[in-house]
Amino acid sequence: MQKNDQQLTNNLRKYRFEHNEMTQQELANKVGVSRLTIHSIEKGKFAPSIFLALKIADIFKAKVEDIFYLIKNKKNI
Amino acid sequence: MKKLIHYSTIALGIISLISFIADYFIFAELRPKMINFEGISQNHDTLMLVVGIGLLIFLTFCVLSLLRIVQYLKKAKKITPIYSLWLTGSVLCLLFVFSDVALLQDIDKQYKLGLDQPEWSLVYPIMIFQFIAAIIFMVFHLFGFKKENQVEDVVKDSNIFLVAQYIGIICGLSGFILSGLGFFFPSAWNLYVHTIISSIVLLIPYALIVGYWLAIKLKEDISDWYDEKQIQDVGKSSFMTLAISVVFMICLFALNFNNLNGVVSMIWLPLYVFFVLTLFSFGNLYFSKKD
Repeated sequence: MQKNDQQLTNNLRKYRFEHNEMTQQELANKVGVSRLTIHSIEKGKFAPSIFLALKIADIFKAKVEDIFYLIKNKKNI
Repeated sequence: MKKLIHYSTIALGIISLISFIADYFIFAELRPKMINFEGISQNHDTLMLVVGIGLLIFLTFCVLSLLRIVQYLKKAKKITPIYSLWLTGSVLCLLFVFSDVALLQDIDKQYKLGLDQPEWSLVYPIMIFQFIAAIIFMVFHLFGFKKENQVEDVVKDSNIFLVAQYIGIICGLSGFILSGLGFFFPSAWNLYVHTIISSIVLLIPYALIVGYWLAIKLKEDISDWYDEKQIQDVGKSSFMTLAISVVFMICLFALNFNNLNGVVSMIWLPLYVFFVLTLFSFGNLYFSKKD
Protein backbone atom coordinates (compact mmCIF):
# COMPACT_ATOMS: atom_id res chain seq x y z
CA MET A 1 0.00 0.00 0.00
CA GLN A 2 1.17 3.53 -0.79
CA LYS A 3 2.39 5.50 2.21
CA ASN A 4 0.19 8.41 3.17
CA ASP A 5 2.28 11.59 2.94
CA GLN A 6 -0.52 13.89 4.11
CA GLN A 7 -2.45 14.14 7.32
CA LEU A 8 -5.71 15.72 8.32
CA THR A 9 -5.56 18.61 10.74
CA ASN A 10 -8.04 21.27 11.84
CA ASN A 11 -8.81 24.66 13.36
CA LEU A 12 -11.52 23.34 15.56
CA ARG A 13 -10.10 24.75 18.78
CA LYS A 14 -9.76 28.22 17.20
CA TYR A 15 -13.35 28.08 15.93
CA ARG A 16 -14.66 27.01 19.33
CA PHE A 17 -12.95 29.93 21.04
CA GLU A 18 -14.18 32.36 18.44
CA HIS A 19 -17.74 31.20 19.17
CA ASN A 20 -18.13 32.39 22.75
CA GLU A 21 -15.41 29.99 23.96
CA MET A 22 -17.64 27.03 23.28
CA THR A 23 -16.53 23.99 25.30
CA GLN A 24 -15.82 20.59 23.77
CA GLN A 25 -18.85 19.24 25.61
CA GLU A 26 -21.13 21.94 24.18
CA LEU A 27 -19.93 21.22 20.67
CA ALA A 28 -20.26 17.47 21.28
CA ASN A 29 -23.86 17.92 22.42
CA LYS A 30 -24.68 20.05 19.38
CA VAL A 31 -23.39 17.50 16.88
CA GLY A 32 -24.44 14.38 18.86
CA VAL A 33 -21.11 12.76 19.69
CA SER A 34 -19.15 12.28 22.92
CA ARG A 35 -16.74 14.88 24.30
CA LEU A 36 -13.89 12.41 23.83
CA THR A 37 -14.65 12.28 20.11
CA ILE A 38 -14.34 16.06 19.79
CA HIS A 39 -11.16 15.95 21.88
CA SER A 40 -9.66 13.28 19.58
CA ILE A 41 -10.61 15.23 16.44
CA GLU A 42 -8.94 18.37 17.81
CA LYS A 43 -5.79 16.45 18.64
CA GLY A 44 -5.75 15.06 15.10
CA LYS A 45 -5.98 11.50 16.43
CA PHE A 46 -9.35 10.78 14.85
CA ALA A 47 -10.56 11.72 11.36
CA PRO A 48 -14.29 12.50 11.44
CA SER A 49 -16.69 11.22 8.79
CA ILE A 50 -17.86 13.63 6.06
CA PHE A 51 -21.23 13.70 7.78
CA LEU A 52 -19.75 14.79 11.13
CA ALA A 53 -17.38 17.29 9.48
CA LEU A 54 -20.34 18.90 7.70
CA LYS A 55 -22.32 19.06 10.93
CA ILE A 56 -19.40 20.75 12.73
CA ALA A 57 -18.93 23.22 9.87
CA ASP A 58 -22.63 24.00 9.97
CA ILE A 59 -22.45 24.83 13.69
CA PHE A 60 -19.71 27.42 13.00
CA LYS A 61 -21.33 28.60 9.75
CA ALA A 62 -18.08 27.90 7.97
CA LYS A 63 -16.89 25.75 5.06
CA VAL A 64 -15.57 22.30 5.89
CA GLU A 65 -12.21 23.09 4.26
CA ASP A 66 -11.81 26.18 6.48
CA ILE A 67 -11.95 23.97 9.55
CA PHE A 68 -10.37 20.77 8.23
CA TYR A 69 -7.35 20.74 5.90
CA LEU A 70 -4.45 18.56 4.84
CA ILE A 71 -0.80 19.14 5.73
CA LYS A 72 2.38 17.26 4.85
CA ASN A 73 2.85 14.30 7.15
CA LYS A 74 5.84 15.18 9.36
CA LYS A 75 6.75 11.52 9.85
CA ASN A 76 7.33 11.06 6.12
CA ILE A 77 9.37 14.22 5.54
CA MET B 1 -43.45 5.36 41.27
CA LYS B 2 -40.01 6.96 41.76
CA LYS B 3 -40.94 8.02 45.28
CA LEU B 4 -42.23 4.54 46.09
CA ILE B 5 -38.92 2.99 44.97
CA HIS B 6 -36.99 5.66 46.92
CA TYR B 7 -38.87 5.03 50.18
CA SER B 8 -38.80 1.25 49.69
CA THR B 9 -35.03 1.42 49.22
CA ILE B 10 -34.63 3.46 52.41
CA ALA B 11 -36.85 1.01 54.32
CA LEU B 12 -34.81 -1.94 52.99
CA GLY B 13 -31.61 -0.10 53.98
CA ILE B 14 -32.82 0.42 57.54
CA ILE B 15 -33.86 -3.25 57.83
CA SER B 16 -30.46 -4.28 56.40
CA LEU B 17 -28.58 -2.19 58.98
CA ILE B 18 -30.68 -3.61 61.82
CA SER B 19 -30.17 -7.15 60.51
CA PHE B 20 -26.37 -6.66 60.39
CA ILE B 21 -26.42 -5.59 64.05
CA ALA B 22 -28.64 -8.60 64.86
CA ASP B 23 -26.23 -10.87 62.92
CA TYR B 24 -23.38 -9.70 65.15
CA PHE B 25 -25.23 -10.89 68.28
CA ILE B 26 -26.43 -14.10 66.60
CA PHE B 27 -22.89 -14.99 65.53
CA ALA B 28 -21.52 -14.05 68.95
CA GLU B 29 -23.79 -16.72 70.40
CA LEU B 30 -23.44 -19.34 67.66
CA ARG B 31 -19.73 -19.13 66.86
CA PRO B 32 -18.31 -20.50 70.14
CA LYS B 33 -20.84 -23.33 70.13
CA MET B 34 -20.03 -24.32 66.56
CA ILE B 35 -16.28 -24.07 67.05
CA ASN B 36 -16.52 -26.30 70.15
CA PHE B 37 -19.01 -28.63 68.37
CA GLU B 38 -21.68 -28.12 71.03
CA GLY B 39 -25.31 -28.92 70.23
CA ILE B 40 -27.40 -26.26 68.47
CA SER B 41 -31.06 -25.93 69.37
CA GLN B 42 -34.04 -25.42 67.09
CA ASN B 43 -34.03 -21.73 68.10
CA HIS B 44 -30.54 -21.34 66.70
CA ASP B 45 -31.67 -22.77 63.39
CA THR B 46 -34.43 -20.13 63.35
CA LEU B 47 -31.81 -17.46 64.05
CA MET B 48 -29.81 -18.62 61.01
CA LEU B 49 -32.97 -18.26 58.97
CA VAL B 50 -33.19 -14.65 60.20
CA VAL B 51 -29.59 -14.12 59.00
CA GLY B 52 -30.54 -15.54 55.60
CA ILE B 53 -33.61 -13.31 55.26
CA GLY B 54 -31.49 -10.31 56.33
CA LEU B 55 -28.99 -11.07 53.57
CA LEU B 56 -31.79 -11.40 51.02
CA ILE B 57 -33.11 -7.97 52.03
CA PHE B 58 -29.59 -6.53 51.85
CA LEU B 59 -29.15 -8.05 48.37
CA THR B 60 -32.33 -6.28 47.19
CA PHE B 61 -31.10 -3.04 48.79
CA CYS B 62 -27.73 -3.43 46.99
CA VAL B 63 -29.35 -4.00 43.59
CA LEU B 64 -31.63 -0.96 44.02
CA SER B 65 -28.71 1.17 45.26
CA LEU B 66 -26.51 0.10 42.36
CA LEU B 67 -29.22 1.02 39.86
CA ARG B 68 -29.64 4.37 41.61
CA ILE B 69 -25.89 5.00 41.45
CA VAL B 70 -25.84 4.16 37.73
CA GLN B 71 -28.75 6.55 37.16
CA TYR B 72 -26.87 9.23 39.11
CA LEU B 73 -23.62 8.68 37.21
CA LYS B 74 -25.55 8.78 33.96
CA LYS B 75 -26.25 12.45 34.64
CA ALA B 76 -22.82 13.31 36.05
CA LYS B 77 -20.75 15.72 33.99
CA LYS B 78 -17.71 13.45 34.14
CA ILE B 79 -16.86 9.99 35.53
CA THR B 80 -14.13 10.88 38.03
CA PRO B 81 -11.85 8.36 39.84
CA ILE B 82 -13.95 8.86 43.01
CA TYR B 83 -17.05 7.80 41.08
CA SER B 84 -15.17 4.76 39.73
CA LEU B 85 -14.14 3.80 43.26
CA TRP B 86 -17.70 4.26 44.48
CA LEU B 87 -19.01 2.07 41.70
CA THR B 88 -16.37 -0.60 42.37
CA GLY B 89 -17.27 -0.67 46.07
CA SER B 90 -20.96 -1.02 45.25
CA VAL B 91 -20.41 -3.93 42.85
CA LEU B 92 -18.13 -5.70 45.35
CA CYS B 93 -20.68 -5.16 48.10
CA LEU B 94 -23.32 -6.84 45.94
CA LEU B 95 -21.03 -9.75 45.08
CA PHE B 96 -20.03 -10.24 48.72
CA VAL B 97 -23.65 -11.15 49.59
CA PHE B 98 -23.08 -14.37 47.67
CA SER B 99 -19.77 -14.88 49.50
CA ASP B 100 -21.64 -14.55 52.82
CA VAL B 101 -24.10 -17.25 51.79
CA ALA B 102 -21.34 -19.58 50.55
CA LEU B 103 -19.23 -19.07 53.69
CA LEU B 104 -22.15 -19.66 56.05
CA GLN B 105 -23.13 -22.80 54.14
CA ASP B 106 -19.53 -24.07 54.36
CA ILE B 107 -19.44 -23.34 58.10
CA ASP B 108 -22.68 -25.26 58.62
CA LYS B 109 -21.45 -28.20 56.53
CA GLN B 110 -18.11 -28.37 58.33
CA TYR B 111 -19.77 -28.12 61.75
CA LYS B 112 -22.02 -31.08 60.90
CA LEU B 113 -18.99 -33.09 59.71
CA GLY B 114 -17.04 -32.19 62.86
CA LEU B 115 -14.42 -30.16 60.98
CA ASP B 116 -12.76 -26.80 61.80
CA GLN B 117 -14.46 -23.68 60.47
CA PRO B 118 -11.73 -21.20 59.42
CA GLU B 119 -14.37 -19.36 57.34
CA TRP B 120 -15.46 -17.49 60.48
CA SER B 121 -12.40 -15.25 60.08
CA LEU B 122 -13.74 -14.11 56.69
CA VAL B 123 -17.39 -13.66 57.64
CA TYR B 124 -16.74 -10.78 60.07
CA PRO B 125 -14.55 -8.54 57.82
CA ILE B 126 -16.91 -9.02 54.87
CA MET B 127 -19.96 -8.16 56.94
CA ILE B 128 -18.23 -5.11 58.46
CA PHE B 129 -17.42 -3.91 54.93
CA GLN B 130 -21.06 -4.46 53.92
CA PHE B 131 -22.31 -2.68 57.04
CA ILE B 132 -20.13 0.37 56.29
CA ALA B 133 -21.20 0.26 52.63
CA ALA B 134 -24.86 0.10 53.70
CA ILE B 135 -24.37 3.23 55.85
CA ILE B 136 -22.72 5.06 52.92
CA PHE B 137 -25.55 3.98 50.60
CA MET B 138 -28.09 5.25 53.14
CA VAL B 139 -26.33 8.62 53.45
CA PHE B 140 -26.46 8.99 49.66
CA HIS B 141 -30.09 7.88 49.49
CA LEU B 142 -31.04 10.41 52.16
CA PHE B 143 -28.84 13.37 51.22
CA GLY B 144 -26.44 12.68 48.34
CA PHE B 145 -28.59 12.26 45.26
CA LYS B 146 -30.42 15.58 45.47
CA LYS B 147 -28.21 17.89 43.43
CA GLU B 148 -27.86 16.20 40.10
CA ASN B 149 -26.42 17.94 37.11
CA GLN B 150 -28.90 17.88 34.28
CA VAL B 151 -26.77 17.07 31.27
CA GLU B 152 -27.73 16.28 27.73
CA ASP B 153 -28.34 12.81 26.29
CA VAL B 154 -24.93 12.53 24.63
CA VAL B 155 -23.14 12.88 27.99
CA LYS B 156 -25.52 10.39 29.60
CA ASP B 157 -24.84 7.85 26.84
CA SER B 158 -21.12 8.37 27.13
CA ASN B 159 -21.25 7.90 30.93
CA ILE B 160 -23.29 4.69 30.71
CA PHE B 161 -20.78 3.38 28.16
CA LEU B 162 -17.86 4.13 30.52
CA VAL B 163 -19.66 2.74 33.59
CA ALA B 164 -20.38 -0.51 31.70
CA GLN B 165 -16.66 -0.85 30.93
CA TYR B 166 -15.68 -0.29 34.58
CA ILE B 167 -18.17 -2.94 35.74
CA GLY B 168 -16.97 -5.27 32.97
CA ILE B 169 -13.40 -4.98 34.24
CA ILE B 170 -14.39 -5.61 37.89
CA CYS B 171 -16.59 -8.62 37.07
CA GLY B 172 -14.23 -10.00 34.43
CA LEU B 173 -11.14 -9.75 36.61
CA SER B 174 -12.92 -11.21 39.67
CA GLY B 175 -14.22 -14.12 37.60
CA PHE B 176 -10.84 -14.71 35.95
CA ILE B 177 -9.01 -14.79 39.30
CA LEU B 178 -11.66 -17.03 40.87
CA SER B 179 -11.61 -19.44 37.93
CA GLY B 180 -7.79 -19.45 37.94
CA LEU B 181 -7.83 -20.59 41.58
CA GLY B 182 -8.98 -23.97 40.26
CA PHE B 183 -5.38 -24.67 39.20
CA PHE B 184 -4.13 -24.10 42.76
CA PHE B 185 -6.89 -25.97 44.62
CA PRO B 186 -7.90 -28.72 42.18
CA SER B 187 -9.11 -31.18 44.83
CA ALA B 188 -11.51 -28.61 46.32
CA TRP B 189 -12.88 -27.56 42.93
CA ASN B 190 -16.57 -28.15 42.47
CA LEU B 191 -18.00 -27.92 38.97
CA TYR B 192 -21.47 -26.89 40.12
CA VAL B 193 -20.56 -24.36 42.83
CA HIS B 194 -17.25 -22.88 41.65
CA THR B 195 -17.76 -22.98 37.91
CA ILE B 196 -21.47 -22.59 37.21
CA ILE B 197 -22.94 -20.73 40.22
CA SER B 198 -19.93 -18.42 40.79
CA SER B 199 -19.76 -17.51 37.11
CA ILE B 200 -23.46 -16.66 36.98
CA VAL B 201 -23.20 -14.58 40.17
CA LEU B 202 -20.16 -12.67 38.91
CA LEU B 203 -21.89 -11.88 35.64
CA ILE B 204 -25.00 -10.43 37.34
CA PRO B 205 -23.70 -6.82 37.79
CA TYR B 206 -22.45 -6.76 34.18
CA ALA B 207 -25.75 -8.20 32.92
CA LEU B 208 -27.60 -5.52 34.92
CA ILE B 209 -25.65 -2.61 33.42
CA VAL B 210 -25.72 -4.02 29.88
CA GLY B 211 -29.46 -4.66 30.26
CA TYR B 212 -29.92 -1.07 31.43
CA TRP B 213 -27.85 0.24 28.50
CA LEU B 214 -29.83 -1.92 26.06
CA ALA B 215 -33.14 -0.70 27.52
CA ILE B 216 -32.07 2.87 26.73
CA LYS B 217 -30.61 2.04 23.32
CA LEU B 218 -33.50 -0.04 22.04
CA LYS B 219 -35.50 3.19 21.78
CA GLU B 220 -32.95 4.52 19.29
CA ASP B 221 -32.03 3.54 15.77
CA ILE B 222 -29.23 0.93 15.74
CA SER B 223 -26.92 3.33 13.85
CA ASP B 224 -27.13 5.74 16.82
CA TRP B 225 -26.03 3.22 19.46
CA TYR B 226 -22.44 4.46 19.33
CA ASP B 227 -20.89 7.62 17.96
CA GLU B 228 -18.33 7.17 15.20
CA LYS B 229 -15.25 7.27 17.42
CA GLN B 230 -16.83 4.79 19.84
CA ILE B 231 -17.40 2.42 16.90
CA GLN B 232 -13.73 2.74 16.01
CA ASP B 233 -12.71 2.17 19.66
CA VAL B 234 -14.97 -0.87 20.01
CA GLY B 235 -13.54 -2.21 16.73
CA LYS B 236 -9.94 -1.81 17.94
CA SER B 237 -10.85 -3.35 21.28
CA SER B 238 -12.59 -6.31 19.61
CA PHE B 239 -9.58 -6.96 17.38
CA MET B 240 -7.21 -6.79 20.35
CA THR B 241 -9.50 -9.13 22.35
CA LEU B 242 -9.69 -11.62 19.50
CA ALA B 243 -5.92 -11.69 18.95
CA ILE B 244 -4.94 -11.98 22.62
CA SER B 245 -7.68 -14.45 23.56
CA VAL B 246 -6.71 -16.82 20.71
CA VAL B 247 -3.08 -16.78 21.90
CA PHE B 248 -4.24 -17.24 25.50
CA MET B 249 -6.42 -20.24 24.65
CA ILE B 250 -3.64 -21.86 22.61
CA CYS B 251 -1.27 -21.42 25.57
CA LEU B 252 -3.88 -22.85 27.95
CA PHE B 253 -4.34 -25.85 25.67
CA ALA B 254 -0.61 -26.40 25.25
CA LEU B 255 0.17 -26.09 28.96
CA ASN B 256 -2.54 -28.62 29.82
CA PHE B 257 -1.97 -30.93 26.86
CA ASN B 258 -0.99 -33.88 29.05
CA ASN B 259 -3.87 -33.37 31.46
CA LEU B 260 -6.85 -32.25 29.39
CA ASN B 261 -9.23 -34.27 31.58
CA GLY B 262 -8.03 -32.45 34.70
CA VAL B 263 -9.28 -29.23 36.25
CA VAL B 264 -8.88 -27.37 32.93
CA SER B 265 -11.83 -29.34 31.56
CA MET B 266 -14.01 -27.65 34.24
CA ILE B 267 -12.65 -24.12 34.09
CA TRP B 268 -11.68 -23.43 30.48
CA LEU B 269 -15.05 -21.88 29.67
CA PRO B 270 -15.27 -19.43 32.63
CA LEU B 271 -11.58 -18.60 32.13
CA TYR B 272 -12.27 -17.77 28.48
CA VAL B 273 -15.49 -15.82 29.19
CA PHE B 274 -13.98 -13.70 31.98
CA PHE B 275 -10.69 -13.17 30.13
CA VAL B 276 -12.55 -11.91 27.08
CA LEU B 277 -14.84 -9.73 29.20
CA THR B 278 -11.87 -8.15 31.02
CA LEU B 279 -9.88 -7.55 27.84
CA PHE B 280 -12.82 -6.15 25.89
CA SER B 281 -13.89 -3.78 28.69
CA PHE B 282 -10.31 -2.69 29.35
CA GLY B 283 -9.75 -2.17 25.61
CA ASN B 284 -12.88 -0.03 25.25
CA LEU B 285 -11.88 2.09 28.22
CA TYR B 286 -8.26 2.40 27.10
CA PHE B 287 -9.01 3.35 23.50
CA SER B 288 -11.78 5.76 24.47
CA LYS B 289 -9.48 7.60 26.91
CA LYS B 290 -6.24 7.24 24.95
CA ASP B 291 -6.63 9.76 22.13
